[in-house]
Amino acid sequence: MGFGDLKSNAGLKVLNEFLADKSYIEGYVPSQADVAVFEALSGAPPAELFHALRWYNHIKSYEKQKASLPGVKKPLGKYGPVNIEDTTDSAPKQAKEDDDDDIDLFGSDDEEESEEAKRIKEERLAQYEQKKSKKPALIAKSSILLDVKPWDDETDMGKLEECVRSIQMDGLVWGASKLVPVGYGIKKLQIQCVVEDDKVGTDVLEEKITAFEDFVQSMDVAAFNKI
Amino acid sequence: MAVEELCALEKCLGLKAGKYSSRAQGDRKIPVLQTNKGPSLVGLATIASHLVTEAKKEELLGASIEEKAIVQQWLEYRITRIDQVSSKEDVRNVLKDLNVYLEDKVYMAGKKITLADIIIYYGLHPIMADLTVQEKETCINVSRWFSHIQHYPGVRQHLPSLVFIKNRIYSNIH
Repeated sequence: MGFGDLKSNAGLKVLNEFLADKSYIEGYVPSQADVAVFEALSGAPPAELFHALRWYNHIKSYEKQKASLPGVKKPLGKYGPVNIEDTTDSAPKQAKEDDDDDIDLFGSDDEEESEEAKRIKEERLAQYEQKKSKKPALIAKSSILLDVKPWDDETDMGKLEECVRSIQMDGLVWGASKLVPVGYGIKKLQIQCVVEDDKVGTDVLEEKITAFEDFVQSMDVAAFNKI
Repeated sequence: MAVEELCALEKCLGLKAGKYSSRAQGDRKIPVLQTNKGPSLVGLATIASHLVTEAKKEELLGASIEEKAIVQQWLEYRITRIDQVSSKEDVRNVLKDLNVYLEDKVYMAGKKITLADIIIYYGLHPIMADLTVQEKETCINVSRWFSHIQHYPGVRQHLPSLVFIKNRIYSNIH
């Protein structure tokens, strides 16, 4: 979601279209959503984009109460039409805003506010990380059932199994196996293994097994269960 | 119709139900409110304004002198135009008027909801209910305003909520 680049004419057109049948960015009362989009604009939209201009003037009338409007500010990408990305560049906003002296949209103390908010957010993140690191790390394991298919009925299945079981990796434990007939005398090897999710991935496993080109034609994951 | 509407307005303003009757005038019915003290009040706009004052919500009559005038103007419009529609042509004209007027406005008068919004909303409700999706989309500004007012807390009351399709289908008609 988003309006494209709200600093450009194209972005304003998207906003204009979007507001044609809406009074506010979200819902039926002014909210932080309106403030967020309002602040992203570099000034009043041109007169021919009357929907955007109407909304702009309306939200401007709430300027004094903007802090007390309901809702939580979200990134611009969370608003607007679903099929358009947000590409508004927030960095040059400052410079552009300074250009029009008559409309000091939302004063500079807002900048400090967001700085403060950022700091608090970082603090919380740090706290959260700390908490997380104290917790005993739970090792996520998965039980995987693999189907290993040989080239033809003459492939030595005993040898094939031996090869597969010879793969040694940290966090990989081989389990029971059996031979399942496929047809025309061909059998496939079904083998169980338990892996630690962080250390062993199925793609790595597949790579290693199919490396035995002499025996293995292909390999499938028949079942994958989290333990 | 007008009496029901005034009852809805009373509820919306948080007032107790008053004593209403109707007086026939030509082929129309004019609402009459019997007040406790003084004479009875006649006419939709008069009673509505009276109710607002009684509920001590004068801001609904407009904040500035200009706004007050605009609110009165729309109350009059409601009675002289919207209530008088008799043909499809009339409906089209009213919607066209409003559509142009609302193009750059969120509310009828000023930056806040006023009695004009509420009374026009009540008056327009039966008209809007009859419109097709395409017609609603043609007068997009009225639709937006209408949808906004009907979602304004307390206004809608007993009236059914009308549906406005969120994505526009007939994109070439604006």
